[in-house]
Amino acid sequence: MRRYETIYILRPTLGDDEITKIIDNTNAILSTDGGGIISIDKWGLRKLAYLIKKESNGYYVFCDYATDPANVTEMERKFRIDESIMKYMTLKTSDSIDSEGIEAARNEYEAAKVAAEEAEAEQEKEEQSSDTTETAESKKEEKTETAEKSGE
Amino acid sequence: MPPKKRIFQRKRVCRFCTDSEMIIDYKDVKVLRNFVTERGKIIPRRIFGTCASHQRQVCEAIKRARQIALLPYSGNTPR
Repeated sequence: MRRYETIYILRPTLGDDEITKIIDNTNAILSTDGGGIISIDKWGLRKLAYLIKKESNGYYVFCDYATDPANVTEMERKFRIDESIMKYMTLKTSDSIDSEGIEAARNEYEAAKVAAEEAEAEQEKEEQSSDTTETAESKKEEKTETAEKSGE
Repeated sequence: MPPKKRIFQRKRVCRFCTDSEMIIDYKDVKVLRNFVTERGKIIPRRIFGTCASHQRQVCEAIKRARQIALLPYSGNTPR
């Protein structure tokens, strides 16, 4: 078992159903013979740096998985046949990985995801709190101004 | 006697060596964009001062990013 990561670019004209169908199919191929998906990330629609098959946008899907080499060749064969996949790139990240390793990598990914979400939430909170303090200050100012006016 | 020609030289240090949190990854286009020109060429290390091993990694990452259309082979780098 080896660990790989693949990025594939789908045509931007596809609907959500078709996209999920393609992703499910590839995951099914990769999961045979004890393989496992570690993470799947839909990056969504992005502008391409150059035209691919006369398209300037593409739907990026990033997939991290552990599987046998035969499954990878099978997946790539399917990709070449399928018209809706414009380009793909597979990288080997590790020469050997066992089921424990897959589980550990999954946990790691989940932890990283949670951490990222928390960081984002914190940032938002900070922004919000700063906003509220600002508005409070401006309100105070307004009040003082009105007080001055009434004094006059 | 002509004045000694002084060439201005700044001490350059490798960005990746000084900042261990910076990781070279072909998916991280924001970082890689600093290492290509507007035309999409890889900037040589005599200009940026990255150390040899990190320059090699950057080079590899840029070439991978080009393959999957995150960076252009040539032409304007989208910013």
